[in-house]
Amino acid sequence: MSNKMSKPTIYDDSYAPLLSPWRVKAKITAIFLVIIIFLMFSSWRTGVDLNELIWGFTNMTQITDKLFPINMAILGPAMNTLFETIHMAIIASTFSTLIVIPVSLLAANNITTNWFVYNTTRLIMNVLRTIPDVVLAVIFVGLFGIGVFGGIVALFIFSLGILAKLISETVESADMQPVEAMRASGANTIQAIAYGVVPQVLPQFTSFSLYVFEINIRASVVIGLVGAGGIGSLLMDQFSFNNYGAVMTIIFVIFAVVIVIEYISGKIREAII
Amino acid sequence: MSQPLPPKKPRSTKQIVRNFAICIAIIALYVWTFASINIDFGRVIERLSSNFDRVIPQLFSPNWDRAPEVIEMMIETIFIAYVGSLAAAIIAVPLGFLAAFNMTNSRFLATFGKWILSGVRAFPEIILAILFVVAVGPTPFAGILAIAIGSTGMLGKLYAEVLESIDMNVVEAMQANGANKIQIMFHGIIPQVIPEFLSYAIYRFEIDVRASTILGYVGAGGIGTMIFFAQSGRNWSDMGMILLVIIIVVTVIDYASTYIRKRIV
Amino acid sequence: MIELKDLSLVYPNGHQGLKDVNVKIEDGEFVVIVGLSGAGKSTFIRSINRLVTPTEGELHVDGDNILNYKGRGLRKLRTKIGMIFQSYNLVKRNNVIKNVLAGRLGHTGTVRSVFNLFSKDDKALAYESLKRVNIDDKLYNRADELSGGQQQRVSIARVLTQKPKYILADEPVASLDPPTSHQVMKYLRKINKEDGITTIVNLHFIDMAMEYADRIIGMRAGEVVFDGPVSEVTEETFEEIYGRSIREDDLRGGVEEDVEQNV
Repeated sequence: MSNKMSKPTIYDDSYAPLLSPWRVKAKITAIFLVIIIFLMFSSWRTGVDLNELIWGFTNMTQITDKLFPINMAILGPAMNTLFETIHMAIIASTFSTLIVIPVSLLAANNITTNWFVYNTTRLIMNVLRTIPDVVLAVIFVGLFGIGVFGGIVALFIFSLGILAKLISETVESADMQPVEAMRASGANTIQAIAYGVVPQVLPQFTSFSLYVFEINIRASVVIGLVGAGGIGSLLMDQFSFNNYGAVMTIIFVIFAVVIVIEYISGKIREAII
Repeated sequence: MSQPLPPKKPRSTKQIVRNFAICIAIIALYVWTFASINIDFGRVIERLSSNFDRVIPQLFSPNWDRAPEVIEMMIETIFIAYVGSLAAAIIAVPLGFLAAFNMTNSRFLATFGKWILSGVRAFPEIILAILFVVAVGPTPFAGILAIAIGSTGMLGKLYAEVLESIDMNVVEAMQANGANKIQIMFHGIIPQVIPEFLSYAIYRFEIDVRASTILGYVGAGGIGTMIFFAQSGRNWSDMGMILLVIIIVVTVIDYASTYIRKRIV
Repeated sequence: MIELKDLSLVYPNGHQGLKDVNVKIEDGEFVVIVGLSGAGKSTFIRSINRLVTPTEGELHVDGDNILNYKGRGLRKLRTKIGMIFQSYNLVKRNNVIKNVLAGRLGHTGTVRSVFNLFSKDDKALAYESLKRVNIDDKLYNRADELSGGQQQRVSIARVLTQKPKYILADEPVASLDPPTSHQVMKYLRKINKEDGITTIVNLHFIDMAMEYADRIIGMRAGEVVFDGPVSEVTEETFEEIYGRSIREDDLRGGVEEDVEQNV
C-alpha cells in the first residue's frame, strides 16, 4: 500500500495482510481491459469477426480441399531452384560474415573510442535491422534487375544488420585485460585485437554465423517471392497461376530443407560452444 | 639453433582426419556454390547503370502525398500483428505445457510437443500467409492466421523453456498439502511464469510487426499490399514513403517493447 | 636507467595520481613500491610504460624523455618494458604457449603475427621462458585450466619472452595465497639477479617488501614519502608511509618454500 500513510491503525485495511492487494487487482484488470478493447478495435478495423477467427482455426479443412492432391511434376524444378536458394544463402552469409568483422569492431565501445564513429555505425546498423528482408529485396531487385544478384545483396544487407548487433555485443563483453597486457608489451592495435579479442569471441562468432546462415535460408526463400530468384520465385509463379497443388509441393520442399538445415546447423553450434 | 624448440602438440589421428574432412567439406561446399550460381555480371552492371538514377534519388525523396494512406495501412499492419500475436500468446500456453517435460512427466509427450512446435517454426510467415490466402481468400484475416500460427511455434517453445526452469519445490509443497492439479496450476505454476510469458509475448509482438509488414505482398493485408503496387508500378518515391514509415514504426515499437519488458521482469 | 623528474599526474576527474615525484632507478635494481591502495603506486608504475601519461615534469628512460612518445616510438619503448598484472591478464581461451608467444608481438610484423607465423627462434625462446618458470609441461593447456599461481608464472614467461630491459609488476601477488605469493616473488627475484633486469614491483605487504627488495619506495597520496635501501627501513618507516599503525592484513605471512618445488 501507499507509503504516504504515516502510521497504519488497526482500522486500516492495509494493516491486515491481503492475498492480493486491491491495487494490484485493479492494475491487472486495467491491463486486461486495455488488451480486450484494443483487440476488439483491431478486429473491427481489420474486418475480422472474433467468431470468424475462432471458427477459422477449427475449419482448416478448406485448405486441404484446395491444396491437395499435391503436384509431383513440379518436384524437379523445385529441387533446381532450391539449390539456387541455398547458394544465395551461402554467398550472402559468407560475405556478411567477412564484412561484419570491421563493422562490429567499429560498433563496439571497448574497441572504438571515437564517439562519433561508434554511434554512427550503431545507428546505421539499427536502421538496417528495421527494414524487412522482402523490402530490401524489392529495392535491390529494382536496382539490379530480376535474378539472384539483387537477392544476394538484399540477404547480405539483411544479415549484416543482425550479425553486427550480435557480434558487437560479444566484442563488448570480451575481457579487455589481455589487450592491456599486449598494449603494455608494445603490440599495435591490430595485433592486440587479433591476440587479445579474437580468441575470446571466435566461438560465438562461428555460432552466430551459422545462425545467420539459418536465417538466410528462410529469408532467401521469402525474397524469391519478389523476384530475387530461387525457390521463392517458383512458388510465387505457381501461386499467381493458382496451381495450388504445385504450391503445396514447393512448400513441403521448403519445410523439409529448413528443418534439415536448422538441425545440422544446431548440432554444429552445440559442438562449438 | 641453440635452444630446443617446444615439442609438437600431440594430436590423435582421429582429430587430424576429422579436421581434414571438415576442410574438404567446406571447400566442396564453396566450389559447388560458386560453380553453379548463375550471375550475369554484364547484365547486373547494365541494369544498375540504367536503374540507379531512377531508383535511388526517388527512394530518398519519399512521396509525402501518400503519407496518410501509408500510415493508414501501417495501422492495419499493427492490428494484424496485434491480433495474431495475442491469439498465439493464448494458443501457445497449452502447447507450452505439453512440451515442458516437468509438466507432462512424459518424455514422449514432451518430445512430441517440441517436434510440433519446431515444425511450425520452420514455416516463414509469408509462406503460411500464402496457404491462408488460398484457404480464406485475400484478406487481413489470412494475415492474422499466418501470424498467429507462425508465432505459436516460437512462443510455445519459449513457454516450455520457462516452465522447465520453474521452482518445482513450490509445486511439491502444494502436492504435500493435498492441493489438486488445477489448484497447483493456478497457485503454484502460473504466478511463477506469468511475467516471463508476458515478456515473451510482447517480444513476439515486436517481431510480428516486422513480419506483418510484408504479408500484404501475397494479399494478406497491411502495408505489404502497397509494397506490391509500388514495385509493380516502379513507383520508388512511394516505396521511399513506405520504407520511412516502416523504419519509424518498427523503431518506436522496438523501444516501447524493450521498455515494457524491462519493467515486467 | 629510469629517472622521474618533478613528475605529476592529475587524472581528468581531478584526482592527483602523482605529485612532484623525483626518483632515479639504476639498472639492475630490485625496487619495491609500498603504500596504501590509492597512494599512487599503480600510477607510478604505469607512467613508466605510458599506460597513463603524466601531466607535468619529465620521465627519462635510458636518457630519453618518454612523455612525448607516441605511435611507433611508444610501442618501441614498451617492447623493452615487460609488465606483470595482478589478474595475470592472459587470454583464458588460448593455450599457454600462445599466451607466451604474445610477448613477441612487439617484435613481430603485423601480418606475420595475425597469421600466427612466429619464427623458430621466437618459439624456442617462448619454450625456454616456460622452462625457466617450471611450467613447460603445461605447454598446450588452456590458460583457464591453470591455478592462479601457475597463470602468474605463465605471465612471467610472457614477459621473459619479450626480452625486456625492465620489468614492472603491478600487485603481482594480490590475488594469490601466501605460499604461491612467495613462489612468484622468488621467480621475479631470480630473474632480476640472473638477467640483470631492472624490476619495479608494487606491493601492499610489508613483510614481502622487506624480504625481496633491494630498495623500498614508500608512497602516500601521490607523493614519495620514503626512498631508501631495505637496511634503513624499520617498522616506524612503514607507519610513516601508511600514516597509521601496522595491522595484521599488512602482512602476507606464509611459509618458506623452495622455488624449484612447485606445481
